[in-house]
Amino acid sequence: MSTDHLQTNHFQTKHISVKRYLPDSSAEPYWQQYELPVDDSTSLLDALNHIKEQLDSTLSYRWSCRMAICGSCGVMVNGIPKLGCKTFLRDYEGEIRIEPLSHFPVQRDLVVDMEIFLEHLAAVKPYLIDDNPVKPYDPKAPETYQQSPEQLARYKQFANCINCGLCYSACPQFGLNPEFLGPAALTLAHRYNLDSRDHGTKQRMTELNRHEGVWSCTFVGFCSKVCPKHVDPAAAVNQSKVESAKHTLIALFKG
Amino acid sequence: MNVNKPSVSQHDAHRRQAYDEPLWWGLFSAGGVCFAVIMPAVILFIAVLLPLGLLPAEALSYERASGLLFSIPGLLFIGAAVCLPLFHAAHRLRHGLFDLSLGNDTLNKKVMYGLAALLSLLALGMVVAGMLN
Repeated sequence: MSTDHLQTNHFQTKHISVKRYLPDSSAEPYWQQYELPVDDSTSLLDALNHIKEQLDSTLSYRWSCRMAICGSCGVMVNGIPKLGCKTFLRDYEGEIRIEPLSHFPVQRDLVVDMEIFLEHLAAVKPYLIDDNPVKPYDPKAPETYQQSPEQLARYKQFANCINCGLCYSACPQFGLNPEFLGPAALTLAHRYNLDSRDHGTKQRMTELNRHEGVWSCTFVGFCSKVCPKHVDPAAAVNQSKVESAKHTLIALFKG
Repeated sequence: MNVNKPSVSQHDAHRRQAYDEPLWWGLFSAGGVCFAVIMPAVILFIAVLLPLGLLPAEALSYERASGLLFSIPGLLFIGAAVCLPLFHAAHRLRHGLFDLSLGNDTLNKKVMYGLAALLSLLALGMVVAGMLN
């Protein structure tokens, strides 16, 4: 639908099916249908809030900022990972099926356990590693941490990740092997490797250059398609493959 | 956080570096580039310009063509147009099999890259044999 003709006074009724999982009362997940009034401005998160407040207070889901920056409200919409707050019901005809994010263990309804994702993030040391012996505040310190716009531009796109996990639900390789570090963690590693202030490439390389590192990626590219912040993890991972191959070659000659 | 801490040996096994994968991937990307760059030119000359009679008739006469092929540049051409794309295809097929959970990866690897290596040797061997004649 074109955004020129959005209306907020044009209510219609839509059906949303939510995959419910309530481990306290039933071991099996089941589908539950809700019928609710929506207008052209109703986001999926608005719809879930409406269900929770008006129809069924037992529904569980995560959300916080409602403006696509906290990365909490990721769900599967008709099988595609999406942020609830960035998905509008006006774009969907017919039945809308909402499921928890794929490839993660489900805790309750739409709430998944993201522990393994967080472990993968931590494993790539996603912070500036500085081996400069002269620290800031030292009078002898050089003008540390200065960065030119060109140096910033090298990694800026890869720094926009909000850790929503949509790319992990999109990645068939993560689905086959949860030990695979996955798109977001590898992208974050690449982001810091590209940062002119960082000196941690060598430490991260031991993580990246594993079968569960960059080499599990088969360049499906769906991660980049579903990314709500246009980070392009597929590009980052495949650039890391070049770096990883170079690293292996150099290590080979050094013995 | 402490619940499922892997034992030290398991931990080390996880940190094992990938040594062969960069090589296969290197051949894969080289094959992709060569195929994308060389094949359109080959198709243009042999499948379009030549049948249309836009090239001089003797441009690829038997003597000239075999002279071009059975030479060092010809050997390099076969390497770039046949061998590297073979490894490209083998890599794709191997990962495709993994995605479909068919076979086991260790065996698939040997079969796929083995086939690519065998066919490459055959192609290069034929050029070398032609050069020696």
